[in-house]
Amino acid sequence: MVNTCYIPKTLEEALKIRKETGAVPLAGGTDLMVAYKRGVGITPVFPFPVMIITQLDELKGIKVEEDGTVVIGALTTSVEIAKDERVPYFVRLAASKMGAVSLRNTATIGGNIGNSSPKGDLPQPLILLDATVVLQSLDNTREMKVDDFIIKAKKNQLAEDEIIVAVRIPKPDYTYGYYRKIGTRRANAISKLTLSSIMKVENGVITDFRASSGAAGPKVARSREVEKMLIGKPIFELSSFIEEFVEAWDGVISPHAMPEFRRATTKNMLRHFLSVCADQPEPGIIE
Amino acid sequence: MSKIKFTLNGKVVFYEGDPLRRLVDVLREGFQLTGTKEGCGEGECGACSVLKNGKLVTSCIIPVGAIDGDDIVTIEGLRETPQGQCLVESFAEGGAVQCGFCIPGMVMAAQALLLVNPHPTEEDVRVAISGNICRCTGYDLIVESILLASRKGEGLW
Repeated sequence: MVNTCYIPKTLEEALKIRKETGAVPLAGGTDLMVAYKRGVGITPVFPFPVMIITQLDELKGIKVEEDGTVVIGALTTSVEIAKDERVPYFVRLAASKMGAVSLRNTATIGGNIGNSSPKGDLPQPLILLDATVVLQSLDNTREMKVDDFIIKAKKNQLAEDEIIVAVRIPKPDYTYGYYRKIGTRRANAISKLTLSSIMKVENGVITDFRASSGAAGPKVARSREVEKMLIGKPIFELSSFIEEFVEAWDGVISPHAMPEFRRATTKNMLRHFLSVCADQPEPGIIE
Repeated sequence: MSKIKFTLNGKVVFYEGDPLRRLVDVLREGFQLTGTKEGCGEGECGACSVLKNGKLVTSCIIPVGAIDGDDIVTIEGLRETPQGQCLVESFAEGGAVQCGFCIPGMVMAAQALLLVNPHPTEEDVRVAISGNICRCTGYDLIVESILLASRKGEGLW
């Protein structure tokens, strides 16, 4: 068997190849090269045409727009994201906990979203922050929330002629924030469970609340409906709503494997974050 | 078939063939550089670590078509340099090596660390080799040997 493989030199060339052949973009290769590996000394065989876009500089780098929106090129690596202080905290932290340093030097944000695994580390905080993906084809550019883009495990809305070119993260605005990744060890762990959450408090009232659960269902779980249970509530009454909220969030996640562990741990993490917030500490990240 | 040009241990080289061939296979079978080992084949164990443009990567999950124009350094290239010599001597002096299979990758990880952080703490070293698995040593002697290299090699990095 012989692979069909293209190595475009520019984004325009890549978009043409994508339109004409439907070749699958290989960004860092950390998922695709493992998925189709065959063994020592043997070249992987891909059952579809591939285009290696690793070196397209047009899709690399991070910039900040006037309103504070952070735009990350699809081929920006996890190391580059983790070390850039302009990137919102949750995304940097998630990037810094992916695999080990060699993987983080290779894996890209576009690849992590395109792979659309519910265990992917970056979609979870991106969905919390209402980040969007920019999808480009020869004829069109469109943008949609990462939450809408990922449909379920390994399924997303990328059209046959499109490439993920960038991720846009609106400037976050919160009083308290929380992020936790649970893996089997500190390095090289695929997430067993992740959670991030933010709360904004103004004049003693909760004006925004969000939570995002990763690896707890076929896709990252958010529920604006359940989040609304806390919005508008006075912070001094928060402690009396915690149990009701935590039970409602339990209905948002749908873990398939080890559901008891994932449900109990998600509840514990949310209880912890909310009970610390209820004490109204100084604004910041809650450990 | 594609033609890929890259720098390998300081020399410009060419590869002709399937661009989806893994870099580790190109190094070991194409260029006979067998110092780079393959352990897991999934980018998890670090045995196949090389430097790509000065950064640590696992060559088992990188297709050769992704490195056109890049600078690749393997253990064979590193050992010819004063930095590499210092690492080799420190690993020997520190008793870091048992079966040795992980060691080329460990040395590459140590080099990647020292290039950006010539005076690492023990914690820095442990983080830097956290993607490199060793089943013999329990890591302590490897960590100590890397710290030894950073002291002995003062001024090299």
